[in-house]
Order: sequence, then structure tokens, then C-alpha cells
Amino acid sequence: MAQKNIVAKFRDELTLLKALKRLKEKKVNLIDVYGPFANHDILKLVTKESRLPYLAVLYGTIAIAATFSFIYYTAVIDYPLSYGGKPVFSFPPMVVIMFLVCILLTTILSVITFHGRTQIFPGKPNQIIDPAVTDDSFYLVLDQNFNTEEIKIWLQEDGADEITEKEI
Amino acid sequence: METSYTPKKTMNLIFAGMMLIGIVAVIAGFMSDTQRTWANILLNNYYFITLSMGALLFYSIQYITNSGWSAVIQRIPQALGGFLPVGALLMLLMYLGLPQVYEWAHEGITETDKLIAHKEPFLNVPFFMIRLIIYFILFLGAGYMLRRYALLQDKNSDLKYHERSRYFAQVYIFVGAIFFSFASKDWLMTIDSHWYSTMFGFRNMIISMYYGSAAVILLLLFLRSQGYFKEVKDAHFHDLGRYIFRFSIVWGYLWFMQFLIIWYANIPELTVYYEPRFLGEWQLVFYAELFINFAIPFVVMMSDEVGKKPRVLLGISILLLIGLWLNIYLQIMPGAYGPMKFGFVELGMWIGYAGLFLGVVFFALGNVALIPKNHPYLEESLHHHV
Repeated sequence: MAQKNIVAKFRDELTLLKALKRLKEKKVNLIDVYGPFANHDILKLVTKESRLPYLAVLYGTIAIAATFSFIYYTAVIDYPLSYGGKPVFSFPPMVVIMFLVCILLTTILSVITFHGRTQIFPGKPNQIIDPAVTDDSFYLVLDQNFNTEEIKIWLQEDGADEITEKEI
Repeated sequence: METSYTPKKTMNLIFAGMMLIGIVAVIAGFMSDTQRTWANILLNNYYFITLSMGALLFYSIQYITNSGWSAVIQRIPQALGGFLPVGALLMLLMYLGLPQVYEWAHEGITETDKLIAHKEPFLNVPFFMIRLIIYFILFLGAGYMLRRYALLQDKNSDLKYHERSRYFAQVYIFVGAIFFSFASKDWLMTIDSHWYSTMFGFRNMIISMYYGSAAVILLLLFLRSQGYFKEVKDAHFHDLGRYIFRFSIVWGYLWFMQFLIIWYANIPELTVYYEPRFLGEWQLVFYAELFINFAIPFVVMMSDEVGKKPRVLLGISILLLIGLWLNIYLQIMPGAYGPMKFGFVELGMWIGYAGLFLGVVFFALGNVALIPKNHPYLEESLHHHV
């Protein structure tokens, strides 16, 4: 991913927010924001709507259906065993297993999906945009846009301390 | 910011009209079928005590968890709790109708029924009434202290009143969790006096918070439509919606725990409770209750975006109030009355009780500042966002 990105350093989150709002208005392609602490206003501007919950519902449904068919196959079709005078196909005891397997599979599949989508995996080297990000500075990382020079001027006007280009 | 609620005369007239319908229904009930009427009185007593109790538990939870978001709406659950003293009086009235509802209170039952004779030291009329009075002394004492310190805080910005409120919220949670469980066992479970479930009290105590939250949401939405509580935003509705969602899971969980164990063990003493409900003529109500109280709220509230819309909350809350009625109907009627009947007596008495309940709640709401003054978390609540 050798791609040149614009990295702008800010003193505090309010100036960054100002610049961010302007960039949003101009529809500049934004990659990420780094800072020592979370800010709700910035989060609201930057986050895209996650589709993971819909996927989780899908996983849950599949897990329930799969568990149901497994129990149905084993307990009713393949090896019907009468115990306690209960009918061979009885729904209530299935519910507990379906419920637990649903939670288990949904959690595991969601974790895998999340990691796959964000391309995080165990052992991945940490990408630090600048050592100062853990101290007191805020960073905006922008995609390579066609109007790089114009963006740099906007950032300058909004109070960026330092504008560099880095390969990430 | 509207700081106080001014009652409207037309509303009081409506409540009076509703109460009149209720009185007519009670009279009609006593003329036609005494047993059914007493069972309905117990049903409605318990219905509205549950709402009050749940609302006050909701209120106490906000204190012991140091919740900031709910400071602006905290007068709503408090006003809903204002029905408890009236509920206590109505519950004391049950003394006159105990033999009509409870099998163990019948004259001479201990001679023919050995099991009830064995339970007689606990299940007898004087001890039942003593327990009832003790429960209400505890509920009303702790509830009064909560209200007292909330009102003192309005006048005085000293932080010590908030601390006192927190202390009594702990007391209320303790009293409510333990003694409302006992109370629901006393009032509902002993109707089927041969049957028992160890889940019963806990389940009824926990789900009171479910319906209490629904009542809080309904009252909040009503007041908003009247022009109050304009500072309640999306984020508050989001949090209230989460309450409903969470408790819908708890409801389903506890319902199923009680059912599964009895279904699995298949012991006649225990299945006698589920037999008329699960297999007999109450089957329709049995499944309807499950859908209304669990399946529909669970599926609808699952999405964050849908769950915080005031219209969705309104629909779900109204549905839950119907669900609570079905829930108690199903717990009382098969044992206390027998055949499934729904008519003017049931509907009219519910309307009458609702009129009384709303009258008391709006009276309690009109007496105090609508938005608490000097509450340390008020600013946080006004700027709440997620």
C-alpha cells in the first residue's frame, strides 16, 4: 500500500474539528483521525454506519436454523429415543441449545468478520502515524486527492501546525 | 424550560368519567358474579401496583448507578410511584373477598384438604393480612423517603440531599427486590395453593421493572405531546428503548425457565398449573402473552435506529400494558375463577382503575417541579447524547 497520504497535525481538537467540518463540506476523501482521547463530535463526523449488526442478525438466524436441523436430524430422524415419556420431537428442550449456540456462533463469526473487514489480525505490526499521537497532538489523515495543493491551503487556513505527506 | 405541570380540568373530568365506568362495572359484576368481580379487583390492584413498583425501582436504579442521563425525567417514575398508597388501601379491601379468590381461605378447607392443612400455619387469613400490611409499610416508608429527599433537594442545593436520596434508593431496591417477590407469591401464587414455583416471586419482581419502564415512556410521550419535556432528545429515548429491549430478553428468559423445568420434570403437582393454560381453554391467551410480551418487543427493539423512534416506543409501550394485563389475567383467572371470560366487567374495571391511577399520578405530578432543581446531574442530562 505504498500510497502518499496527507497528514496534518493539530494542536487541539477544536481546531481539528473546524478543519474537519470544512473538509466534509468539500467532500474530501478522509482516511482516519488520530488523537490521544475520544471526542464525540469528531466521532460523529468520521464514523460511517456499520453494517455489522445486520450481519450479526443473519449469523444468529443461520445458527438457530442450523442447530435446529442438527437436533432434529439426530433426535428425530436418525436415532429416535423415547425417554421420560416425552414425544420424540419436543421443542422446549431444543430452545436452550439453540439459544446458546446462537450466541456462540454469532459472537465468533462477528469477531472474524470485524477483523477481516478492518484487516486486523494477531501479529500485525502497529502503524503509528507519529509518536506524538500518544502525547498531545491530533492528526488528520487524508487520502490522495486530485486537488492536493488546495487541500493543503484549507488545512493551513484552519490552523494546522504541520502538513506532511507520508506513505502508509 | 417548563418547570411545573399545570393540570387540565378536562383531563380530570375524563378520569372521573373513567372511574364512573369502573364503579358501574364493579356494581354490575357484584350483581352477576361475585367471584369473578373479586378476581378482577385483585387483578387490577396487582396490575397498577406493579406499574408503581416498577417505576420506583426504575427510579432507584438511576440513583444507585449514578446515571446522569435520566435526571431530567426522574419526576415521571416518582409520580407513577404515587399510586402505591392508594394501591395499599385497595389491597386492604381484598380482606372482604379473600375466600372468593383464595382456595385456602375457604371455611373448613383444612379438614378436607390435607396439603392446605399442612400449609395452614403460613396460609391463614390473619397472617396474610399482617404480611400485606408489613409489605406496604416497607414500600411506602422507603418510597416516602425517596420523595421527601427529592423535594428537599428542590429547595436546597446542598449535595447531602442527593446522598440521602442515593441511600434510600439502595433501601428501596433492597425492600422492593425482597418483599415485592414475597408479595407477588402471597397475592398471586397462593391462588393455586397446591402448586408452587421457586421462580415465581423473582420473576414477578423483575418484570415489574419491564412494565414500569413502559409506563414511564408512555407518560413521558404524553407530556411531550402536551408541550412539556422539550429537552428530552433522541438520546434519552434511545436509553429508554434499551431498557425495554433488555427487559424483553429477561422476560423471555424467566418465563422459559419456569416453564421448561416444570415441563421437563412432568410432576403432577407442578404441571397442574400449566395444564389448563398450555393445553386447556387458555391456550390462546398463553401464546398471545408470549408474543406480546416477548417476541414482538424483542424483534422490534433489536435495531438501535428503530428502537429510539418515539412512535415505535409508543406502540411497544401500549402493547406492553396490554401484555401486562394478559400476564396477570393468566396468572389469576384459571385458579381463582375457572372458565375464560372477557366482558364488560373486565374491561370496565380496568378502565375505572386506570382512571384512578392516572388521576393520582397527575395529582402527584402537579404537586412538584416537573424538572428537578439542584439535581447534580441535571446539566449532564440536558446535554445527553450518545
